[in-house]
Amino acid sequence: MLVLTRRPNQSIVIGGGIVVTVLEVRGDQVRLGIKAPRDVDVHRDEVWAELQQANRAAALPDRSAVEGLERLRRQRPDA
Amino acid sequence: MSTMTDTDTDLDVPALHFAAGIPGFPEARQFALVWWGDEDGPFSILTSLEQTGLEFLVVPPHTFFPDYAPEVDDDTAERLGLASADDAILMVIVTVGDQPGDATANLLAPIVVNRHTREAAQVVLTEGDLPLRAPLFA
Repeated sequence: MLVLTRRPNQSIVIGGGIVVTVLEVRGDQVRLGIKAPRDVDVHRDEVWAELQQANRAAALPDRSAVEGLERLRRQRPDA
Repeated sequence: MSTMTDTDTDLDVPALHFAAGIPGFPEARQFALVWWGDEDGPFSILTSLEQTGLEFLVVPPHTFFPDYAPEVDDDTAERLGLASADDAILMVIVTVGDQPGDATANLLAPIVVNRHTREAAQVVLTEGDLPLRAPLFA
C-alpha cells in the first residue's frame, strides 16, 4: 500500500481525474473531500460492501414471488 | 411516440443510463424500466440491456412509505444534471423474501433518475440514518 503524509488542505491525485483533499483533522476523525468523474462512484467502504450485498440479494426477483407481493398489496389498499 | 432503435433489445422503452453502474453489478449501465403486474400497480422491473437476465424489482417509494422524502446532495444533483426536485424520478429497489410479507425496500440507497436526460444513479443518502431493508408490509 502506498502511504503518503498530508496536512489539512493538501490533496492527492489519483489517476489524473480523482482528487482527494484532507479538509480537517479533529481527534481521531479525518474529513476528506473527493472530486471524481461522474462515472466513478465514491462510497464509505462499509456502506459499499453492504450495498453490494443488498443489491445482489435483490437481483433476479422470482416472478411468482412478485405476483405474491402484488396480491398482498391489493389486499391492503392503504399501502 | 417515436420508437427507440436498440440492437440489443426489442423492448420499446427508453433506456436509463447508470454512468457509475449499480453497486455489485459494475458492468451493467443501461437499463430498461418495464411496468410489471396490474395496470394500476406500482411495481416495475428494471432490466439490464447488457447483462441478460439481470433484473431488479422497483417501486415508487411513496406507495409504501408516504413520509419518505430523501434529500439528494449537491454533488449527486450536479452529476445527474438535476436543477430542481421536479427533474427527478425516485424509485427504491425491492428485495423479495421467501414470503411476500418479508419483502423489503432499500431506503438508504434509492435510484434517482433525471426524467429529461434519463441519467440515473443509485444514491447513498448520508443524512437521516435510513434503513437498507425497510419492510414493505410493516
